[in-house]
Amino acid sequence: MIMKSELIIIGGGIVGLYSAYFLAEKGFNDILILEKSYLGSGSTFRCATGIRASFTTEEHIVLLKESINLWKKLSRELGFYYEQGGYIWLFRNEEQLKAFTEFSKLHNKFGVPTRIISVDEIVEKVPMINTEGLVGGLFDPIAGKASPFQAVFSLENALKDKGVKIRTLTRVKKIIAENGRIKGVETDSGTFEADKVLIAAGYGSRELAKTINVDLPLNNVPHHALVTEKFKEAFKPLLIDWTYSAYIVQVQHGNFLMGMDIEEKPQQPLYQRVDFIPKMARVATRLFPWMRNVNVLRYWTGYYVMSPDRHPIIGPVEEVDGLYIATGFSGHGFMMAPIAGEVVSEWIVDGKPKYRVAENLTLRRIKEGKFIHEKAVFG
Amino acid sequence: MPSSKKIDRRIWEHPILEFKRGKEVRFYFEGEEMKGYEGESIAVALYASGIDIFSWTEDNRPRGAFCMIGKCSSCFMVVNGIPNVRTCREPVRDGLRIERQRGLPDIPRVTRDEEGLESKTLETDFLVIGAGPAGLSAALKAAEYGLDVILVEDHFRLGGQLVKQTHKFFGSKDLFGGLRGFQIAEELSKKVSSNPKIKVFLETLAYGVFKDLTIGLASKKGHYKVKAKNILFSTGAYENYLAFPGNDLPGVMGAGGAQTLMNEYGIRPGDKVLTIGAGNVGLIVSYQLLQAGAKVKAIVEAMPQIGGWVVHAAKVRRYGIPIYTRHTIKEVWGNNRVEGATIVQVDEKWQPVPGTEKDIDCDLVIISVGLTPDTKLLAQTGAKMKWIPELGGLVALRTKYMETTVPGVFVAGDAKGIEEATTAIVEGKIAALTAVLRVLGHVDKAVEERRQLVQYLEQYRQSPLLSRSRRGIEKATIES
Repeated sequence: MIMKSELIIIGGGIVGLYSAYFLAEKGFNDILILEKSYLGSGSTFRCATGIRASFTTEEHIVLLKESINLWKKLSRELGFYYEQGGYIWLFRNEEQLKAFTEFSKLHNKFGVPTRIISVDEIVEKVPMINTEGLVGGLFDPIAGKASPFQAVFSLENALKDKGVKIRTLTRVKKIIAENGRIKGVETDSGTFEADKVLIAAGYGSRELAKTINVDLPLNNVPHHALVTEKFKEAFKPLLIDWTYSAYIVQVQHGNFLMGMDIEEKPQQPLYQRVDFIPKMARVATRLFPWMRNVNVLRYWTGYYVMSPDRHPIIGPVEEVDGLYIATGFSGHGFMMAPIAGEVVSEWIVDGKPKYRVAENLTLRRIKEGKFIHEKAVFG
Repeated sequence: MPSSKKIDRRIWEHPILEFKRGKEVRFYFEGEEMKGYEGESIAVALYASGIDIFSWTEDNRPRGAFCMIGKCSSCFMVVNGIPNVRTCREPVRDGLRIERQRGLPDIPRVTRDEEGLESKTLETDFLVIGAGPAGLSAALKAAEYGLDVILVEDHFRLGGQLVKQTHKFFGSKDLFGGLRGFQIAEELSKKVSSNPKIKVFLETLAYGVFKDLTIGLASKKGHYKVKAKNILFSTGAYENYLAFPGNDLPGVMGAGGAQTLMNEYGIRPGDKVLTIGAGNVGLIVSYQLLQAGAKVKAIVEAMPQIGGWVVHAAKVRRYGIPIYTRHTIKEVWGNNRVEGATIVQVDEKWQPVPGTEKDIDCDLVIISVGLTPDTKLLAQTGAKMKWIPELGGLVALRTKYMETTVPGVFVAGDAKGIEEATTAIVEGKIAALTAVLRVLGHVDKAVEERRQLVQYLEQYRQSPLLSRSRRGIEKATIES
């Protein structure tokens, strides 16, 4: 039996689900989502849960500001955890402070009210922090955090209500096109026909695009994170220690989730490394000496899918009629998913995104070498 | 709450056991001075003094002693300002300040000195994780052939669950026939502690298996990366649970938890007992509770027949204890501790039969509905696992030499599937001898010794009483 849909979305992560959500909102609901494992299993459930607009390019700032609005609205409508607890970027030298003073001007220019704060103000917001070595911070009051688990399950329910079909445990092996037009996909449980295909497959996107001779210059870079036991709320903002490319956030149920950059090569399989926890613990206990008495519950790895300029690739692929992509989020897929989904839906239904800057994010910029470099990437 | 000062649940006279207590220590429980004895854990000292509630959950439900061997989280308390301390495995000491947690704890009030903390990479021929009967005998056997051994145990003492086994073992003298479990534990522990080839890490958690089978160890003394030529996972098992209203009320306890209190520390876990499950553990623990001076009100078994051996069932029946087959527990009730329970008959489809409820006046409900092999760490090696109900759940496939599908990774004792201490001791030795052969190449004596042990196990398991575990073992064994 061959099943036919108007659109197949490859990937049941947060980006694929939000894309389906905004399409269905526009009345476009003849959609089949194919997920190789379970929903959220790729990078969504492994993410740091943070959501911010304090970036360093107009594209990121404008789109993420809108993404924050969507997180706020949809968390209320669909009923999942989202909290606007802010971000604090912590600096340990004047050079960092200077660079972010400039970034803050850019944020402000596009309506994101970040500001440089003193060490005293950091202590006001995070009273149990050890300020030794800190020279100041950047406070982003509109940043926040959400539960990836609740977001995915709420979206799943909403999509089912809207008639979108979801198939898990179905691995797409090949995208099929004829005469430059999308025909469908071949999976490990048969062929599915469709006029359009959206690749929202995170770290699997590059291989999938290859099956249709589209080259996506993406690198899958392993990242590491851990979570501790849970405690009463200690502080609201997500903290970034810029010197160590590290972050710590207290998540929904009170656990501290943290990660930092450790040396990894692209395309490596995901391995837990014995050096990660001690290394992370040194940074965490430098900020919070009492964390020496806190137990680690879990440690896991996941991929940042890095594009050459650390911006996602979202939109139609010109060579193949009916092929769309939304991938390469470079570590920001979760926070960007609502706006990415909305942009995808606009490309598919309206032929053009509402936000002019979103037009800059298609694959064409990469082919033409028009990179838009993002500098504020960590973890 | 009644004044806890006057209550003493310690058993001072017992028909067969004599409890050796250490020096008296004084500590503070929510400001009140209490006493305990060296060698006791905090949870044990508190329970002995009449403290039933160790914490309250986020929705304000009281929690008390349950597993007592560090496998659950019922005993988390604040110790000297540090929350979430597993008090069943933290030794009681002079001057400790203990508080209960109400809902989520506050962040720790204190930090810890990093000075003197070790950070080392260790290399060894044989890393043994878990110092119960399998791990102790494996460490000794490997050391006997000259291997360097690291033995890791998360408790503050060696012996695993042997320390609470008070019955006499069957079998030949080399397998400790005629000795009681805790005596075997004492003997093995003494030998291990004095063996210069065995480096023992107590109160140390083997917390993860990393790339190239590097094992991470963490303790109050430091962090260690262990690179071992061979690794034995002798990590034991944990108790199964049952779902019923009130199942988290203090006074509902694992049978093993009750045994730990009563047989290891000499503390009466309750006065009026209802036992759920008439397998060997349920029957034996009921009998031991009688010896400890408790009154056993009833034993309940959902199956149509008693699961345990006739000899054990006869012992408790002699005392007039009713065994209700085709019955299950419906609920327990009580204010801060079990004050009674309702049991009910079940039909062929395991559904409660209305109108058959019976109320049992009890303050302790013992859950003995089986054990699950603790294979969470082992599974991280990538060893192939299989669900085998006869062995208690998910276990690793392994050869008759106890080697899993990952070369150099071994499993023995309850972690390989639920059996008992005698087979654990033999399996530990077999695994050690295989590690010896991997390190030293061919050694005639080791090959012959291993052959005899494998043969011994095969004969031992021929007993018709062991047919179920024998079936399980057959399913788990792969070609070597």
